Amino acid sequence: MARMKFYCDAERCIECNACVTACKNEHEIPWGVNRRRVVTIKDGEPGERSLSVACMHCSDAPCAAVCPVDCFYTTGDGIVLHDKDICIGCGYCFYACPFGAPQFPEAAAFSSRGKMDKCTFCAGGPEEDQSSDEYKKYGRNRISEGKLPLCAEMCSTKALLAGDGDVLSDIYRKRVINRGASAFEWGVNNSKIPG
Amino acid sequence: MLVVLLVLPVANASTPQQHKDYPQGVSSISPGSDLWREVRQRDLPISGITQVQGVESGVLINADGDRWARFRIENPVRYAPIVLLVVVAILVLFYALRGKVGIEGGLSGRMVKRFTDYERVVHWTLALLFLFLALTGLILLLGRTLLIPLFGHQVFSLLASASKESHNLVGPIFLVSLIMMVVSFARRNIYEKGDLTWLLKGGGFIGKSHVSGGFFNMGEKSWYWMVILIGLAISISGLILVSPNFGQGRVIMAISHVVHVLGAVILIAVSLGHMYMGSIGTEGSIEAMKSGYVDINWVEAHHDRWAQQVKENDEVLTAEEFARLHGRIPESTDNATGQS
Repeated sequence: MARMKFYCDAERCIECNACVTACKNEHEIPWGVNRRRVVTIKDGEPGERSLSVACMHCSDAPCAAVCPVDCFYTTGDGIVLHDKDICIGCGYCFYACPFGAPQFPEAAAFSSRGKMDKCTFCAGGPEEDQSSDEYKKYGRNRISEGKLPLCAEMCSTKALLAGDGDVLSDIYRKRVINRGASAFEWGVNNSKIPG
Repeated sequence: MLVVLLVLPVANASTPQQHKDYPQGVSSISPGSDLWREVRQRDLPISGITQVQGVESGVLINADGDRWARFRIENPVRYAPIVLLVVVAILVLFYALRGKVGIEGGLSGRMVKRFTDYERVVHWTLALLFLFLALTGLILLLGRTLLIPLFGHQVFSLLASASKESHNLVGPIFLVSLIMMVVSFARRNIYEKGDLTWLLKGGGFIGKSHVSGGFFNMGEKSWYWMVILIGLAISISGLILVSPNFGQGRVIMAISHVVHVLGAVILIAVSLGHMYMGSIGTEGSIEAMKSGYVDINWVEAHHDRWAQQVKENDEVLTAEEFARLHGRIPESTDNATGQS
């Protein structure tokens, strides 16, 4: 069975933030909540790289392990989703997640947390597929329409890939090989690649 | 390079079907894992800049998060119920072996004022807030393992949500109550000469004889300072956890949580002992916090140095005086000096 994964190719990402914008627009995500973000390291220096980060849909998700009300579940496609009717907004998943994926809208005074929101791999939630209830709580359910996450679908450099982990692995491997091959054709070793 | 050479022919002939030729076992690893491993282990900075504004949104990997989650699952969630059950078992065993610690010569009926109304209000306010916070806190800590199997996710979510909201609301009031406790009780709880002897004699738990003590004995003082110090640690860490609007990072949150949960479990465990000794464990003790008055024989037994003081100051009330003070004349004044 397919295991859905994201992969962001740091060699291709140009930090255009279109994935972030597309995600916010597609799911009507409220102000202050960002399911996806682009992080640039060594900004403006040699070796600058950008990565688009969202929920990584871990196989052994720390958020699911630590949740005091056990509101997470993994779909057959390996997508980690959560039930907002169960979530109590304690914030433990945010402390536990290595990638900073869980987000909390401000509910009341002192920024007390509302129910957690995170990337759903465009797969909605436990509600009926394509229902308005599901859309209000979790955003669009593209997976049920046979479509992949919008962030990856519209990535102009195809840096961000989403889909079956096996297929992504192949694409990634081919890219790496081609990069190595072109270096080989230049007749130089890796350290002397021009530019 | 050798590897590249070997796989080069395959790569050049790349077609969409080509991936079927690769061994299945290898391809199941997410291609992202290499990249993230590099981010974490190489010299690359694990945080950068981002257009998204939020707490630590520039941090790519927070490795401490998983460590904190594992700590919570493997320690407090697993051992807190065991610790509390062991304490209860010890108390039950102690009661079975020793029974209620009585007073030699029984109760005299002659009373001494121990606590003012204000002091008792301060005590019971703190006590009730503590019990409420302990209960709601334990629901949040242990509910997933103990209560979800009983009630199911939906019902437990309601209970946990109510617990979380009320815990957050009542928490700050606990701090206020704790400060009132410092103001009204701290002076009498300063350690003094004779406290060490009390400790060396095992506080009277070992053997039958009562141990010399002042207004508060060494055990009570230690419990008091435990409440104040651990209570403050719990309150401060709780305030850090309850107000994420100051932009504190996840590591500070995780440390606060560890302080909060460890302090709470220790305090709840010891409070069980305090509740036991204040009620069924020792004859006459509950009166101090019920009416504010204690029997002079109880004072002689447990707080002999204070007993000397009250006798010198002539503060002991006869049964008749005590009854009159509380607006009820005893049916038979002769009986009052006898056993009650």
